[in-house]
Amino acid sequence: MKKIKYTAILFITLFSLSNCNKKLDVVPQQNITPDQITTADDVKALLFGEYSLMQNANGFGERLIFIPDLLADEKQVDFVGTFTNYKDFFTKTQDKQNSIPAGIWSNMYLVLNLSNTVLSKISLIDPSEQDEITGEAEFMRGVALFELVKLFGLPYSAGNISTNPGVPIILDPPKYVYDPANALVSRASVGDVYVQVLKDLQDAANKLPTSQDDNRADQYAAKAFLSQVYMQMGDYVNAATMANDVISSGKYNLVSTFNQAFNNVSNSQEDVFAIQQSAQSNAGTSDNGLTTFYSPAPQGRGDAQVDAGYKTFFENGDFRKTYTQSGSSIGGFSGKYTLKWADFYKAVPVIRLAEMYLTRGEANLRKGGAPIGGIAPLDDINKVRQRSGATPLLGVTGNDFVEERMRELGFEGDRLWTLKRLQMDVSGLLYTDNKLVLPIPQREIEVNSNLVQNPGY
Amino acid sequence: MKRIISLITCMWLITTVAWSQAGSDISGRVTDSKDNSPLSGVTVTVKGKEIITQTDKNGAFKIQIPDGPQILVFTFIGYTELELPATSNMQVSLSSTEKTLNEVIVVGYGKAVKKDVTGSIAKVGSKDIQNVQAPSFESALQGKAAGVVIESGSGKLGQGIKVSIRGTSSISASSQPLYVIDGLPVITSSQSDPNNDPTNPLADINPNDIESVEILKDASAAAIYGARAANGVVLITTKKGRNNQKTTIEVNAFNSWSNPARKWKFLDAQQYVDLIELAAKSDGTYDYNNGISGYPDVNSAIADYKDFYESNILDYFSLGTDWKKAAVNTDWQNLLYNKDALTHQVDVSAYGGDEKTKFYVSGFYNKQDAIVINNRFYRYGGRLNLDHAASEKLSFGINLSVDCSQLNRVSNDNAFSTPGQLVAQLPISPLYDPTTGALNSNTLYSNSLFDAQFNSDIQVTFRTLGNAYLNYQFFPSLAFRSEIGADILNLEEDAFQGKETIDGGGVGKANVIISQSASLNTNNYFTYTPNLGDKNKLNAVAGMSYLQNDSKFASSFGENIPSDAIKNLSGTTLITFANSSGSRYTFLSYFLRGNYSFDNKYLVSASIRADASSRFGPNNRYGYFPAISAGWVLSQEKFLQNSKVINFLKLRASWGQTGNAEIGEGSYLALYGVSNYPNLPGYIPVSLSNPDLQWEKTKQTDIGLDFAILHNRITGELDYYKKMTTDLLLNVNVPFTTGYSSYLKNLGSMENEGYEITLNSTNLDGVFRWNTNFNIGFNKNKVLDIQGQVIEGGFGLTQRAIAGQPIGVFYGQQFLGVDPQTGDALYMGTDGKPTSDYGQAALMVLGKSNPDFTGGFTNTFSYKGIDLNVFFTFVSGNKIYNAAGVYMNGGFYNGFDNQTTEELNAWTGEGDVTNTPRVGYFYGSGYQNSSRFLYDGSYIRLKNVSLGYNLPKSLMDAWHINSARLYISGTNLWTSTKYPGDPEVNTETFGNIGGGQDFYTIPQAKTITVGLNVKF
Repeated sequence: MKKIKYTAILFITLFSLSNCNKKLDVVPQQNITPDQITTADDVKALLFGEYSLMQNANGFGERLIFIPDLLADEKQVDFVGTFTNYKDFFTKTQDKQNSIPAGIWSNMYLVLNLSNTVLSKISLIDPSEQDEITGEAEFMRGVALFELVKLFGLPYSAGNISTNPGVPIILDPPKYVYDPANALVSRASVGDVYVQVLKDLQDAANKLPTSQDDNRADQYAAKAFLSQVYMQMGDYVNAATMANDVISSGKYNLVSTFNQAFNNVSNSQEDVFAIQQSAQSNAGTSDNGLTTFYSPAPQGRGDAQVDAGYKTFFENGDFRKTYTQSGSSIGGFSGKYTLKWADFYKAVPVIRLAEMYLTRGEANLRKGGAPIGGIAPLDDINKVRQRSGATPLLGVTGNDFVEERMRELGFEGDRLWTLKRLQMDVSGLLYTDNKLVLPIPQREIEVNSNLVQNPGY
Repeated sequence: MKRIISLITCMWLITTVAWSQAGSDISGRVTDSKDNSPLSGVTVTVKGKEIITQTDKNGAFKIQIPDGPQILVFTFIGYTELELPATSNMQVSLSSTEKTLNEVIVVGYGKAVKKDVTGSIAKVGSKDIQNVQAPSFESALQGKAAGVVIESGSGKLGQGIKVSIRGTSSISASSQPLYVIDGLPVITSSQSDPNNDPTNPLADINPNDIESVEILKDASAAAIYGARAANGVVLITTKKGRNNQKTTIEVNAFNSWSNPARKWKFLDAQQYVDLIELAAKSDGTYDYNNGISGYPDVNSAIADYKDFYESNILDYFSLGTDWKKAAVNTDWQNLLYNKDALTHQVDVSAYGGDEKTKFYVSGFYNKQDAIVINNRFYRYGGRLNLDHAASEKLSFGINLSVDCSQLNRVSNDNAFSTPGQLVAQLPISPLYDPTTGALNSNTLYSNSLFDAQFNSDIQVTFRTLGNAYLNYQFFPSLAFRSEIGADILNLEEDAFQGKETIDGGGVGKANVIISQSASLNTNNYFTYTPNLGDKNKLNAVAGMSYLQNDSKFASSFGENIPSDAIKNLSGTTLITFANSSGSRYTFLSYFLRGNYSFDNKYLVSASIRADASSRFGPNNRYGYFPAISAGWVLSQEKFLQNSKVINFLKLRASWGQTGNAEIGEGSYLALYGVSNYPNLPGYIPVSLSNPDLQWEKTKQTDIGLDFAILHNRITGELDYYKKMTTDLLLNVNVPFTTGYSSYLKNLGSMENEGYEITLNSTNLDGVFRWNTNFNIGFNKNKVLDIQGQVIEGGFGLTQRAIAGQPIGVFYGQQFLGVDPQTGDALYMGTDGKPTSDYGQAALMVLGKSNPDFTGGFTNTFSYKGIDLNVFFTFVSGNKIYNAAGVYMNGGFYNGFDNQTTEELNAWTGEGDVTNTPRVGYFYGSGYQNSSRFLYDGSYIRLKNVSLGYNLPKSLMDAWHINSARLYISGTNLWTSTKYPGDPEVNTETFGNIGGGQDFYTIPQAKTITVGLNVKF
């Protein structure tokens, strides 16, 4: 009897021991490992991951649009909030420790790396689809590099493009185990970055289809971005050509009233490229996202108000002048708020057809000669003005386009880039002022000694 | 197997064969002096002879003694040794010896007598834990054990508590100790809403069920818990009954009333208006002097700014009341506190036992109101501890507790809706709108009293801890114990934010969080205690344990409600987020330990544990954690044996290695997570792989001295230790350009070195007794090497791990004062000279958040039935950063928040010598994070004072009760500190680098308690 007892105890003990070893292999329940990326759908999922990064608050969901506007002409936005990292941009006292440059930098480099991963796994995609996916990944990479070089480098218009530092160009797929040997990259020159941006976006424009489901980037999105790139470069022929390609595609129409261009559930007829949002997928509702800042409390924080100077750009009767609401910030400041970002969960227009008209018109005007597309600059500007009930101009100058862009594209992140490319002062600062260029994140410099900080930080 | 058994049997026979001499029989009975219950298992020895017996279950013994007068020695673990001349029919009464060297202490997988222990173990008994008015039992340990630092995050209830034993020994992994309740390792990390402050799962445990808490401090004590012991181990033992003990029923009840221990001093309405006027003057003058707006003269500039401030702030927020006469003077700080917040606890327990069965059953109900509004904690539950001896050899039992708690929460400190931020509102803002009579909705920041009124956040936790055991005594010398236990925690948190509130976003929101954690643990081990005669004692333990934890977490968020009537997700019409996830970890361990002592003089102990965990990759899955220690009882040596002064003196030394694996799951793997974009589900990378990831190791050396002098009136312990942590599990930053931000790597080292002194003294004995306990622990932490990594934490002012510095030093701009000419804040520049340009200020180490030393000082007085206990705790050498300083002392630059009275010293104009810089929304100065808001955090606090009265025996007999004690006590009644707020605050309780940051954090409570304890 005793023996049985001992044996039983021993047996149970040994049994439990031998069984345990297997239990040390535990599989993650909400993540996948790289070896689980094996199909075309898996590679596409990586590409779709890039859309969510573009939607992120560190992408077009907020900061790529909001931060340039905070830095730009003070006749547009007033920042009345308590977040010092934002306020410092508004007062142009941001330092290298500020968390916002680090956020944008890390997010956009993640886009770059994901594109590189997708491109390295393109063989998993069905050959008939490989061009499209390649183009889409290049589109993402080109846009990410373009946004980075605009924010972290001196403008193209400042010249010295082969010596002014831009941002590092990453084209190789990331390693899954960290290897400092190839991680300590240096900043490429502004000119080299633009070369890569053009290469990516041109290839994307060639490979992408004319239309895609779910408001993904298509050929015209690539061309619209190319028009922005060429405008920054002062290459008006190509800028006008690209804008004209978008306009003459016939795919887009100006919506009949200005307000219909905003707060839409998905792309409006005039959106060439827009970020989609929903109640379940958005750039933020409490501390982040355009609506959080631009919508008054209690819905948003109401930290970004329309500056009193903004209305001086308009004549009475211009619908865009009164496209505002009254309200108060979470910090108790009452004021006016633009309605462009009034509602949560709505699509964020990144490039609208209206901008293409203004770009084509301005580029045609500045290049001179026969207008590309055959439409006179005056007609392009008036097309945009008439929609909002502004009186048609009788003649047009370059400055008319600058002001029209402020009227039409205010709070959409355009102003700073327009002023910089035209070498115009920004709130009394020279367009090349140190504070108009973001600092390379301090932690990035600390982990990568090959990076050179921007002057003034 | 058979052979082993026969071998062991032989050894046992050899060692027990010695007793067979002729003489006379003596019999008697041994009882407990406390309640006259029989004591079984008492060793009875004839002094100087090798004749030994034990009392039976009725306490009776029978021993053969040689002829002639003999002395009998009665020894029993936990009782004072007694020597009596042998007489017939002896009635022996032993008294228990708490706080003496014969004390039994719980060690890993066993028990030991204090004087035989070679490791450093602190014991805190039930007396110190019972009825202490604290949200969780760990709070009661503060100041009770040298080297154990308890930091309560805030005066909010149910919140996480940071416990560090002998300093912080990790940077990126957890530095919290392992908690083991009756042999079962328990979950202590927060299981609730990750967007709010962490909560404390240990708060569910009824402190009055706890018999003792043993804190294993050095490696030799802790290494038996191997991979999980680097931060020390806290062993919690719950109460048990005793064999043949008359059933006792004990009732405890208390009520307490709490208020904030310390408040900030904010401006009143008149002071606020005056400061606003000063801001107008400063801004106007600055504008004019610098030619910013081109005013013709300074007065017109000031007038313009005055107009701005008065119309935008004073007129706007006073809602038509006459701010010039300070018609409204709202003390917003008062509104965030409950007045005399009530706590009520009742618990009943019954314990006792017969020959075969021992039991302890208890039930408790506790309801606490926090000092802060809307924060309330209820808990109730029961416990059954049952032990049964089925036969001489087989016994089994269970420790089972079932608890339910409900925590009504407020938002975290960094939310406008938290009551703590009410202090930012303006004193000129009326509480009620004078025109409508309704609660003022036009305050500077959204009035969180709306949130208090319309929001709710209720977390309900069910916790079951159960551990069953079976003990089989093969031979008197060999026992096998098998334990299987479960720690099951179920938590549901329902939060609701009404339409009227800032968190409700105008549409109303609700969310639910369901969190479940189930741990399965089994310990199986043999204990071998051969009888090797009088001089040699051996105790060996060998066994294994397996732990498996499965956690599930699900949350859903919805918004858009028709009205505030329905306070859960069914009232919402738009689900904005829903998610469920799960994780598992496992630990498989084998352990071996031997303790040997010779002649009670020389003590040696060695142990090794092998651990394997799912948290590490196959390359480095196993870790080995050895320890050895030795003790020398000098007082047993001839040269000290007869000393009149020294009663006990033991020198001990230990060395061992423990590990840390608290890094979360899957850290060695490269992982992708799911990304969410409308119609385009995707993957994004989240972590890099490190296949070589392995345990963080802490080697600790400890040298200690235990002593008792002057007839045991003064006892004490001195310890010196040095802990060296290597292979630190660090989150190493990598360039963002790689697509990643950091990865976990074993890198670098850190050390903790310190001294601990514990002294207990009986100053007066007799009718009037006076005892003093004093303990102090010094710890010096130093990060030795992190290979240039930048590792940051903190909240307002950055904190860093920097090689050569203690962990978590405050790192930033040093404030040097104010330029009397301009009112500019001056900072230490990179060139070593003062600069008014914040951007040019040098980043430097400004101080540390960990104290140099901490301790406690207790005096206990008793006279007849009256006892008085006075307990101080102290902390010294740490800094506290007021992260809210940029707002409450921002001089309006960062908002028009009400300011603390420090701003009354603000610079008023050229030539004003002050330390408070220029105020102004437009051109203020010194509003950024810097050492300006860093304060000395040292304090001494009257943690507890209690006065008890034991009702006289005559009354007891008349009422048929055993004892009754009535007491009144006070917590945190007095504090001395240089910090302007409460020094016991930390807005980010967990994390090793961040600490000592205050951000509108709720202070500790000052509490008066009245209670009654009755035993039947």
